[in-house]
Amino acid sequence: MSAFAEFDQERQRIDSLIGQGYTITGIYEDLDGARVTFIRSEPAGEPVELLLLTADARKHVTALLVSGFRMVAVVESYS
Amino acid sequence: MADLSIDFAGIKSPNPFWLASAPPTNTGYQVQRAFEAGWGGAVWKTLGEPVINTSARFAAVHFGGQRVAGFNNIELITDRPLEVNLKEIYETKRRFPDHTIIASLMVEPKREKWHEIVKRVEAIGVDGLELNFGCPHGMAERGMGAASGQQPDLVLAQTAWVKEVATTPVIVKLTPNITDITVVARHAVKGGADAISLINTINSLAGVDIHSWNTIPNVGGQGAHGGYCGPAVKPIALSMVAECARDREVGVPISGIGGISTWQDVVEFMLMGSTGIQVCTAVMHHGFRIVEEMIDGLNHYLDGKGLASVTELIGQSVPRYSNWGDLDLNYKVVARINEENCINCNKCHIACEDASHQCIDMLTNAEGKAILQVREEDCVGCNLCSIVCPADGAIDMVALDSGLAPMSWNQRSRIISGVNGSYSEAEVV
Ligand SMILES: Cc1cc2nc3c(=O)[nH]c(=O)nc-3n(C[C@H](O)[C@H](O)[C@H](O)COP(=O)(O)O)c2cc1C
Ligand code: SF4
Ligand code: SF4
Repeated sequence: MSAFAEFDQERQRIDSLIGQGYTITGIYEDLDGARVTFIRSEPAGEPVELLLLTADARKHVTALLVSGFRMVAVVESYS
Repeated sequence: MADLSIDFAGIKSPNPFWLASAPPTNTGYQVQRAFEAGWGGAVWKTLGEPVINTSARFAAVHFGGQRVAGFNNIELITDRPLEVNLKEIYETKRRFPDHTIIASLMVEPKREKWHEIVKRVEAIGVDGLELNFGCPHGMAERGMGAASGQQPDLVLAQTAWVKEVATTPVIVKLTPNITDITVVARHAVKGGADAISLINTINSLAGVDIHSWNTIPNVGGQGAHGGYCGPAVKPIALSMVAECARDREVGVPISGIGGISTWQDVVEFMLMGSTGIQVCTAVMHHGFRIVEEMIDGLNHYLDGKGLASVTELIGQSVPRYSNWGDLDLNYKVVARINEENCINCNKCHIACEDASHQCIDMLTNAEGKAILQVREEDCVGCNLCSIVCPADGAIDMVALDSGLAPMSWNQRSRIISGVNGSYSEAEVV
């Protein structure tokens, strides 16, 4: 599979969760990639964790935060 | 025509082109001919206690048909008595009062030795002093040159001793044979340096003769490490100049040295923060008259840019040189191959296939002609294909608009820490 196709699969998973109203609540990076946790309050459900392997997906998930997505969550956790 | 004159830490020079302290500045005869050719200044071959130089001193690295891509020497400082040099400096200055003569000095790291040489040299009238803390061989074994230049406290102390008696500006010449050149630069400034110059030569062994098994160069079958300079060292010198230029604690004028051989090199060093430059190897290779082309080229360039003075170049690129951690990760370039300029050598395909991201496809176009095409979504924009491509204009690196706000590694780390509620990520500088 091309690098772009691998990234695209991971991006679709991220975007799909966001589309369903999930918020990113944690990003932990280690030797195996980035574990990203998502939580949804309405309707409430179990947290979802994605293990992102591609560099572009790890970039995408933070680019979403930089570009304003769920800034509320970020500002809240700073304060 | 633009004004090429510079004021380097109070030292006036008709242009920024100076000869570095080296064989071309060994005698009055040479320096006077250099001034006639157009050089604005000269740093005299380093003066100090008597030395004896070896026979067989130089070697060069020729690479891919380019002679003297790099130059290696095991020469020490001047082997002529101080009085002879001083007399010739005096005569040269008398003939060329508007040209710059800097005396390069190196003595043992003792206060009285520095005082003595500074007083004797300044008494005959020089425009400034350059302290040679950079020579990597011969003198270093005696605690001079790079040996003292590698010890920041000794650089500070010796500069301060010189400043106690010097009446002309003091330039400290730095050795590149050190982990972080800004540490030494800062110590020179703390010692009172009015300016710094860099780089001296880089520790080197030019080669080993695979037939005789002797080192290159060798003195009767024995070799010793030398100092490397010439075009090959330019990127190293430029980065060291840039590091010093952007360090606020350094903050003194810089004389850029290392691999300069064209007017374009001069512009690059000035944009990166040099107020003036010095040249050695290019003159050893091509003679004093290379300065004519440098002056012409610089003049045309400044006119083309609409600049009235060469000093307007100084430091313009420094703010564009930052830390890796502050670069925009969302900036994206991709390679694009222009069929009309491509000669179908396949070098880009091989390079991308073997050493990058396997994204240049070999296709056949509608007319049945073999063509190469980049799969842009897989291209990481590494530049390798355009670097190896031998045909001008065959590959363009094109910036794509990602539509994303800029995001650096450091910003990203802060965002992640914010989300996680902790500051766990290290920033990258
Ligand atoms: C043969 C030779 C002798 C040199 N002698 C001296 C010297 O006496 N004092 C000094 O400060 N630098 C000396 N240098 C270093 C040069 O001044 C300069 O810093 C270095 O060569 C880098 O510039 P380049 O790439 O233009 O040659 C010498 C260099 C060469 C090649
Ligand atoms: S820029 Fe790098 S990744 Fe892109 S096509 Fe060229 S070699 Fe391949
Ligand atoms: S390296 Fe340049 S000239 Fe050669 S095939 Fe690639 S684009 Fe064409």
